[in-house]
Amino acid sequence: MSAARATEPSALLHDRRILVCVGSGGVGKTTLAASAGLEAARRGRRALVLTIDPARRLADALGVGALGGDPKAIPRAVLDGLGVPQQGALSAMMLDMKRSFDDLVTRFAESPEVRERILRNRIYQHVSDALAGSAEYSAMEKVHEMASREDYDLVVVDTPPSQHALDFLEAPQRLLEFLDSRIVHLLLHPAFAAGRFGFRLFQRSAQRVLQLIERVSGVAFLEDISEFLLAFEGMSEGFRERARSVRARLLGPETAFLLVAGPSVESTEHARLMLDRLEAFGVPLAGVVVNRAREWPGGGDAPERVPEAGREAEAVRALAAALGDDGDAAAPAAIAAVSLYAAMVRSDEAASAPLRDAVLSRGMFWRRVPEQARDVHDLEALEQIARRLFGPAEERRSP
Amino acid sequence: MSLLDRRLVIVTGKGGTGKTSVAAALALAGARAGRRVLVAEVGRDEHASRLLAPGAGLAGYAGREVRPGVTVMRIDPFEALGEYLGLQLKLRAAVDLVLRNKAFRQLMQAAPGWRELITLGKVWHLEQMQDRGRRRFDLIVVDAPATGHGLTFLDVPRVVVSAVQSGPLHRNAELVEQMIADRERTVLLPVALAEELPARETTELVARVRRELGIGVDRVVVNALVGAPFPRGLEDLDERLGRLPADVVLPGLPPPPVLAACAAHLRARHELNARYRDEIGRATGLPVVPLPYLPEGVRGPAQLERLAQALVEPPIRIGDAA
Repeated sequence: MSAARATEPSALLHDRRILVCVGSGGVGKTTLAASAGLEAARRGRRALVLTIDPARRLADALGVGALGGDPKAIPRAVLDGLGVPQQGALSAMMLDMKRSFDDLVTRFAESPEVRERILRNRIYQHVSDALAGSAEYSAMEKVHEMASREDYDLVVVDTPPSQHALDFLEAPQRLLEFLDSRIVHLLLHPAFAAGRFGFRLFQRSAQRVLQLIERVSGVAFLEDISEFLLAFEGMSEGFRERARSVRARLLGPETAFLLVAGPSVESTEHARLMLDRLEAFGVPLAGVVVNRAREWPGGGDAPERVPEAGREAEAVRALAAALGDDGDAAAPAAIAAVSLYAAMVRSDEAASAPLRDAVLSRGMFWRRVPEQARDVHDLEALEQIARRLFGPAEERRSP
Repeated sequence: MSLLDRRLVIVTGKGGTGKTSVAAALALAGARAGRRVLVAEVGRDEHASRLLAPGAGLAGYAGREVRPGVTVMRIDPFEALGEYLGLQLKLRAAVDLVLRNKAFRQLMQAAPGWRELITLGKVWHLEQMQDRGRRRFDLIVVDAPATGHGLTFLDVPRVVVSAVQSGPLHRNAELVEQMIADRERTVLLPVALAEELPARETTELVARVRRELGIGVDRVVVNALVGAPFPRGLEDLDERLGRLPADVVLPGLPPPPVLAACAAHLRARHELNARYRDEIGRATGLPVVPLPYLPEGVRGPAQLERLAQALVEPPIRIGDAA
């Protein structure tokens, strides 16, 4: 394996402006994003963590209480306690995705009347939900905005838990394709397509089906959608430009993606699929973290059997003697617990192994962040995570 | 009322909670009790068939009986729309031509609400299906999208009924809404993990269901619980292991500090799980269905069987004083 080619995770904190954590829901992206922000600050950078929905106690741990739509700075006194140098800083903010889509309309609408017409349009009100990923796209729009500011050296973002990590990259494309599509022209300018030969059959069928949908549904669906499209048409150039620059930035050299997975079979399989999709999309994926993996306390691999095969009776006797009084009951109980824990560690390891191989063979970095016995809601816990995430790779014993 | 006596169980929960495993296990429990069960997946990917019949391939929209008494299908909104329009309009060829068209699909991608409605409409259709004088399916288990979208999805029929005053769509949406709101027929089954964030999300989910949706919810599944690590009377065993001299050599065993660390980890996990399991019960006011953590992971029917048994046990009510 040529793991030596991989970028060191800590280098990302210094030479990128945006770090995006992707992965399915429940794998701990928020926690990892927060710990990356903290580590960047400790290395003297001015970091902003953009989060979707932090555990309340995590927000408390950051010393910011309830997060809002504006960046909140972590108090200097707290940063001092964590060894953050003077030039380092850490802020956090929440992403309000619905609002930032409205912001977009507000920004690009030609006039207040057009803006009102769009915001009130029934189709628009649904479009941010219905067009898969448009909410995620709005979030990225915000990331772009914050990364363009002079106040921050690094913006760390935890993406919304989405089944498909790429929705936020594909959404603007999809919306633009849709706006450019023939059917839209057909709806907006029926005369334009009417004379063109190739469209006739489709046009007839499409109109028939759409009319029938209207008849079945009793909704003025076409009217609503054409109104929306007409209103949107005027702002589509601005939107297109913006979408292009957001995309260029997210796929460009200033950005790195970090894929986060849990240690279960489902989660790592999902991550492997995502790895392929991200690669196909040209996303600058730097590495993969398997989060909350259980580890064998002694280091190295968990033993296959506890006690070792053939030494069971001997082991129970020795442990019982060491534990004293009720050792005859306590020793088997202790051994059963240790054996179960070893099985848990092996199970996490077995689930992660195929993903690790896929990651290392691509020359990306691979990190394992151990499960914390307690919930993560203080800065010390974040620091521990950061140490593993940004520290050196584990030495793996060759089999 | 047992889960197996409903007609429709909508399983929901955040990603990573094991929602699909629970849906598949419930299907097994149903089949075991003699029900004819359908598992309907509504996401883009299909997972239940892989768990119920590993290696047998995907069931798709046509659906397939993957085990005796258990059929799996994935409801694709475009396929369902084609079927619906075909039934309504008797123009299947024209419908297909249009549905296959890329531009039309793009138009529909942007159109709101219809996916949810057509998906639930298909569920209703399946619920009504007859086969030789009896119901085709006794129990339909829907593996719903992860929470958030999961709830919007259930609200669409109500919105349509109020927005569309008449016509076939109004009548159809009304039937779907009645099915969703019928407490005897339908129940929402949230799946949670006993950890801080998932516990809070589940509590918020249940509150929102009660506030905004007509669907019933009568229990919460709490998944992947690590059981008590030591027998009664030995609760501090990890601490006792920690007090053993570190250099004692125990034949066939790791050194005492490793034993102590394993035991302490397991105990901490168990205590955390137990605390949040109770918190979910208290904060939602609902009984909980505890499911065990399976160290080997949920890989196929063997593990599903274990979950299936635990799923049909009577749920546990967490007392206020507990």
